[in-house]
Amino acid sequence: MTSYFIRRFLLIIPTFLGITLVTFLILQFVPGGPLETALMQMRTGGQQGAEVGSSGTTQGIPQEAIEELKRFYGFDKPIYERYLIWIGNLVQLDLGTSYKYNEPVWDVITERFPVSIYFGLVGFILTYIVCVPLGVYKAVKNGSAFDFTSSALVFIGYSIPGFAFGAMMLVLFGGGSFWDVFPLGGFRSEDWESLSFWGKIWDQVHHTFLPVLSYMIGSFATLTILTKNSVIENLSQDYIRTAYSKGLSEKKVIFGHALRNSLIPISTGLGHAISLVLAGSFLIEKVFNINGMGLLGYQSILDRDYPVVMGILVISTLLLLIGNILSDILYAIVDPRIRFK
Amino acid sequence: MPENKINNTEEEKKKVSVSIFQKRWKKFKTLKRGYISFVVIVTAFLISFILPLFVGKSALLVHYNGEYYFPLFKTYQATDLGQKRDAYGEANYRFLKQQYSEEDQGNWVLMPFYPYGPNENLLNELEGNPPHPPSGEHWAGTDDRGRDVFARLLYGFNIGLSFALVVTFFSYIIGIAIGAILGFYGGKVDILGQRFIEIWGTLPFLYVIIIISSIINPNFFLLVLILTLFNWIGMTYYMRGEFYREKARDYVAAAVSMGAKNKTVIFKHILPNSLTPVISYAPFAIVANIFSLVSLDFLGFGLPPPTPSWGQLMQQGLTNIDYWWLILTPLLAMFLTLLMITFIGEAIREAFDPKVYSRLR
Repeated sequence: MTSYFIRRFLLIIPTFLGITLVTFLILQFVPGGPLETALMQMRTGGQQGAEVGSSGTTQGIPQEAIEELKRFYGFDKPIYERYLIWIGNLVQLDLGTSYKYNEPVWDVITERFPVSIYFGLVGFILTYIVCVPLGVYKAVKNGSAFDFTSSALVFIGYSIPGFAFGAMMLVLFGGGSFWDVFPLGGFRSEDWESLSFWGKIWDQVHHTFLPVLSYMIGSFATLTILTKNSVIENLSQDYIRTAYSKGLSEKKVIFGHALRNSLIPISTGLGHAISLVLAGSFLIEKVFNINGMGLLGYQSILDRDYPVVMGILVISTLLLLIGNILSDILYAIVDPRIRFK
Repeated sequence: MPENKINNTEEEKKKVSVSIFQKRWKKFKTLKRGYISFVVIVTAFLISFILPLFVGKSALLVHYNGEYYFPLFKTYQATDLGQKRDAYGEANYRFLKQQYSEEDQGNWVLMPFYPYGPNENLLNELEGNPPHPPSGEHWAGTDDRGRDVFARLLYGFNIGLSFALVVTFFSYIIGIAIGAILGFYGGKVDILGQRFIEIWGTLPFLYVIIIISSIINPNFFLLVLILTLFNWIGMTYYMRGEFYREKARDYVAAAVSMGAKNKTVIFKHILPNSLTPVISYAPFAIVANIFSLVSLDFLGFGLPPPTPSWGQLMQQGLTNIDYWWLILTPLLAMFLTLLMITFIGEAIREAFDPKVYSRLR
């Protein structure tokens, strides 16, 4: 099985090259790239906030200036050469410099890590803490009134996209026409640094509550139902009958026998926990105005900040591909029946 | 005689397979929550195609100077029908109705039940600046251009659900085909195909949408195409797994040893046996596709204006949360739709699930 996983790790390389190459190519065709923006700004006398032109007409600008700009952005070389240069830099862990922030891409991205990890971890932990026990309890009480009502709640949660739920919460509790309970968004208050220790914690929780709820609402339904079905399936197995007939208490049967096997499909999701550093849906971050990874990625696409786009792609792809393999490894560890070849 | 025998068994087989479906349908009907949702959604969707009969700005029937006019099928100018207020351009049938009843000359207008259209600007009829909050006349208020939100919600339902159905259908065809090929042939085809799918699946599809929408204005069919291109992947995993499992079964070995061609094995033997996850997964795929359209519209990369859309209303609402009706009403519409489809999906899954869990103790 070791050789299987070594092969899987080696397969990351071609997949990774494929993904970056295709994205690199696509980015070349996006109108309004940095060169056109720069030309536009030169034409309008360097005014800030110039509209991003879709057609970079070059009248009125000396040819040398254009050539120099092209050299500056590296557009004087053919696409494949630029890709090779980019890969070469990547191997030396150099992701380039952001067009927009004029900072190394790595710094731009890592600046957002704390926010992403914070929301990612809090959401992740809370989801597992709530969903797994709830799913187990629903399975044990299958068919009861509690099971029915909580199922209805779970489906209601499933039927609302996270960002729409967030928008609804903002309207209801953000101090618009209804109640003023929670702040309108942001990661922390502006005067966070000056608050007392408890004030800081309260402020953070205050800002965290609604976004985390929005993050949770999507995975909530899936994880709860997954747990419930898995437990139910295990409870109808023969070894449970054996356990009961041995005279074990219900508690022991469920927690000692059924639960351990039921957690197998759930534990595999843990492999993707490494993607938490990049967690963040730009829809939710947009709604709550949180400066996280999702918003950075979205904004860098709109700004045509290619080095940042590619940088985020590199990190997220690697985490995803490695996460896939980690999940399989976990699967093989938890469930000895699984054999990868 | 042996031929006869085979025919007999085949007929029997058909009978059995029909009755399996009937059994499932019967089971589905007993699951009240899902069955009622199914009836409601199907009825609502069918009605939404003749929505102008119930909700719209055009009169159903106009009686003017002894003649009948059918504005649903032909556009009339305001002057054609003797409209006095703002008498330019297309006739405004609400004005006409009021005018005729004031004149009392035997002319009349039969309006739809809810006499406002999704794309008409009501600024010359309403006081104050848009958006207007909900009122008795405009049940869900108006949006930032003074268009009736309730009408936009209903027309948005038709567009959203049609969109999701079409995308689901096409991505299923592609997904099933590719998944079947990967699972059936396996080996090198599978490895290469999987690498391709991995690459394709990780492509940031938002870029592609932005690129395309900055070159040409995306319309309904273009968006269907783009979403389909990125949506078929989920189904391939299912089908690939199903085909891998099924092709190792004895009945496939039997068919192959009897000399059945690959085509026959795939379409006649394996496919019908692996369709269960496809069908039970479909409602959830539809939910996901409605999500996608709403998110795209929310970001401004969806259907071109002035298409009525839920996501676009929510985007307007978020610019100023005092306009609560612009967020809450589309959310309610989306929520009810998605909830019912989810119920359907849950019921289908249960009806198709052969496993009956009984706790042994």
